[in-house]
Parts: sequence; C-alpha cells; structure tokens
Amino acid sequence: MHPTKSGRWITQTVSSTYLTEAVAIWFRDLRSEFRTRYAVNSILMFALTTLVTVSFSIGSFRIEESERPFLYAVLLWIILVFSALSGLSRSFVKEQEAGTMDILKLSARPQAVFLGKLLFNLTMLGVLELIIVPAFILLMGYKIKFPGCFVAMMVTGGLGLGAGTTLVAAMIAQANARGALFSALSFPLLLPLIITAIKGSERAAYGISAAGWPEVKIAAAYAVIMITVSLLLFPLIWEE
Amino acid sequence: MIYKILLTIWMNLIIAAVFLYIEPAAGFPGEVSRILFFHVPMAWVATLAFLLSMIASSVYLITRKVNADFLAQSSAELGFLFCFLATVTGSIFAKATWGSFWNWDPRQTSIVMLLMIYGAYFVLRSAVADHEKRRVFAGVYSILAFCTVPFLVFIVPRITNSLHPEDTLNPAKPGMDIKTLIFFLGSLCAYTGLFVWMLRLKVRMLRIMDKERGRINFHK
Repeated sequence: MHPTKSGRWITQTVSSTYLTEAVAIWFRDLRSEFRTRYAVNSILMFALTTLVTVSFSIGSFRIEESERPFLYAVLLWIILVFSALSGLSRSFVKEQEAGTMDILKLSARPQAVFLGKLLFNLTMLGVLELIIVPAFILLMGYKIKFPGCFVAMMVTGGLGLGAGTTLVAAMIAQANARGALFSALSFPLLLPLIITAIKGSERAAYGISAAGWPEVKIAAAYAVIMITVSLLLFPLIWEE
Repeated sequence: MIYKILLTIWMNLIIAAVFLYIEPAAGFPGEVSRILFFHVPMAWVATLAFLLSMIASSVYLITRKVNADFLAQSSAELGFLFCFLATVTGSIFAKATWGSFWNWDPRQTSIVMLLMIYGAYFVLRSAVADHEKRRVFAGVYSILAFCTVPFLVFIVPRITNSLHPEDTLNPAKPGMDIKTLIFFLGSLCAYTGLFVWMLRLKVRMLRIMDKERGRINFHK
C-alpha cells in the first residue's frame, strides 16, 4: 500500500476543520464506491428484486382503490428500509476488511469521520430513493394527492434512516457476525421512524386537510436527535 | 439470609391476601381484576430495571468502572425477564377482557418494542469478543435506544386509542378503594424487593465469574 503516492489522502493540517475533513472522507468514500460499486450494487439489486416481486405478485389492480394509500405506503417503506439495511453497513465494514480503520483513526477527528460516513450513507439512500420511488409509483399506479408533502416525507424519512443506522454500522464493523447483526440492531431503533414514515406517506397520498406535514416534522426531529446523540457517542466507540 | 426469609414471608402473605381477602373490583368480568397485583408491579419493576440499566451504562462510560457495567448488564437481564412476564400476563388479561390475546394496543406495541430493543442489546453483547469493547458498545447502544423512547411514547398513541385500564395504574384517581391500594402498594414493595435480591445475586455472580476468568488467564 502506498498511501502517499496518489496524494489523495486525507492529511490533518492545522487549518483543517471538522467540515473539510468530513467532506474529504465523503469524497474519498464516493470515489472508492465509484470504483468498486459494491454497496450501491447490493442495495439497488436488493431493492429491485423486492420491487419486482411485490409488483409481480400484487400488480396495480389487486388492491382496492380505498386501501391503496395505506398498503402502498407500507410496501414502499418495507422495500426501502430492508434494502437500506442490506447495504448501509458497508461504509464501516469495508474499512475493517481493508484494514484501513487504524489509519482513518489517525488521520481525522472522530466527529469528522462520523459526518463523512453519514454523508456517504445519505448519498446511497438518495440514489436508492431516486430510483426505487419513481419505479414503485409507475409499476404500482400509486396516485399521490400532495406530491410536495410526499417528497418531503421521502427526504426526511431517508435522513432518519441514515441517522439511525450510521452509529450502529460503526459498532457492528468491530463485532463478529456482521451481516445479520446490523439489521437486528438497527430495526428496533428505526421502528418509530418507520411507523411515522408509513403514516406520513399514506396521508400525503390520501390528501386530507393537513396531509402528512406533522409526520414530516416528527421524522425530521428524529433525524436531528439521532445525529446529535450519535455525534456525542461516536468518539467512545471509535477510539476503543 | 434474613432478607430472603423476610421476603418469602412477605410475598406469601401478599399472594394469600390478594386471593382470599380482597374482593374483585367492579366493572371487570369475574376474577380478572386480581391481575392488578401481579401485572402492574412486574411492569413497574421492568421500567425501574431498564432505567437503572441506562443510568449504570452512562456511569460506566464516564468512569469506566467495571462494577457499573455488571450492574447495567444484570439490570437489563432482569428487566427483560420482568418485561416478558408483564407482556404475558397482560396478554392473558387482554384475552379475558378484550377478547383477543394480541391486538396491537399502544401499550402492547411499546412493550414489544422494548423487548426488541433489549433483545438487540443482548445480541450485541454476545457478538463482541473483547470485554472492554463489549461494555462500551452495550452502553452506547443502550443510550441510543433510550433516545427513541420519547417517540414511542408520543407517536404510537397517535395511531390508535388504548383500551388499557388507566385507573388501576393511578392510585390518585378514585377507582381504587383504600384496602386494594394498601395491598397494591404491598405487592409493589414485594416485587421491588424481589428485584433487588435477584439483582444482587446476579451482580455477585458476574463479579465472581470475572475474577475466575482473570485467575485462569493468569495461570496460563
């Protein structure tokens, strides 16, 4: 390994701030992801497989018109959450497998590492939602009365998903039996968010008075709380 | 030893009195209201244990004293046991009064989420081989999980109305006569005493196991 040859590696200088370090880690992860496409491929293939299964077995006319907003919201969020859980742990597991964890610990401050990984996970989730949500709407004939509110729900829901899982990913990267452990640990933390997101998407699709805006706010609050607590706790598990 | 004997006598007295002396509360079919003296203390002990576990975890993360982690682990395990018992007894009560064992009442939803969170906590503990790391991770996870509890308390009730009898939980409300209240509080004390006894045993066991492990490693 010749870390300094490429000149692309993160060096901690006096002038570097948390933000520049975080952005540097984010870009580095994006670049390495662009080369291997491991995480994005596994997440997207998982999502597409589930979407095709759901669409094939249910189709766009099986469910009665009045039941659709709720059941479609449930199906959409099940697809999104489980695809995210299938690949998001890669962000830290790959450091462990490549043996770069220790060097990363030396080259950036813990909070910056967390923010960089969070930004990377959010990018993955953004790509996932950009592809899966339109495909789901097209395949299932999902009619949405308040598109603005629906988009806001997807964005805040995605933020919450990233916020709730990044710290868990950092923990399981240092444990045994990583794959199964990630879902088992993340799911209880994500349950309140999933319930909120399903409710919000359903109400945005129905289009009744307040639509899903209260749920959007709850999901945003969840994301903010999880990011704040994770930033406080992350140094503890990172410096072990 | 004397503590154990006193606790046994006290619990037996409470159980006998609850079945023989107290008459069943009005408004409930048959004898089902007697569950108050067992189910509510179990749920109370579970809450107490989880709270204690969270506080002990935080203390461990700050001071790095191993005893704090023993307390956190023992408390979480006992909390899980009592939480499970509260779920089962609550489910029996639900069958007797509402007609089905399980109907995702907000109380049932939040108790299942608690069980899932602490189930995941034990999975995490068993999956990390390094002792120091395991303690830190468990503490971090327990604090992270605790932060989602407000969402469970405020969001889940928005979705459906609860059928859970609140009056029986709140002694300040009329709905519980003085005789029932005294024995209810007596039962609460008995269960808390039982929890403290089990907790001390468990912590002592963990401490001895840790010491033995240290000695074996030393002799190697």
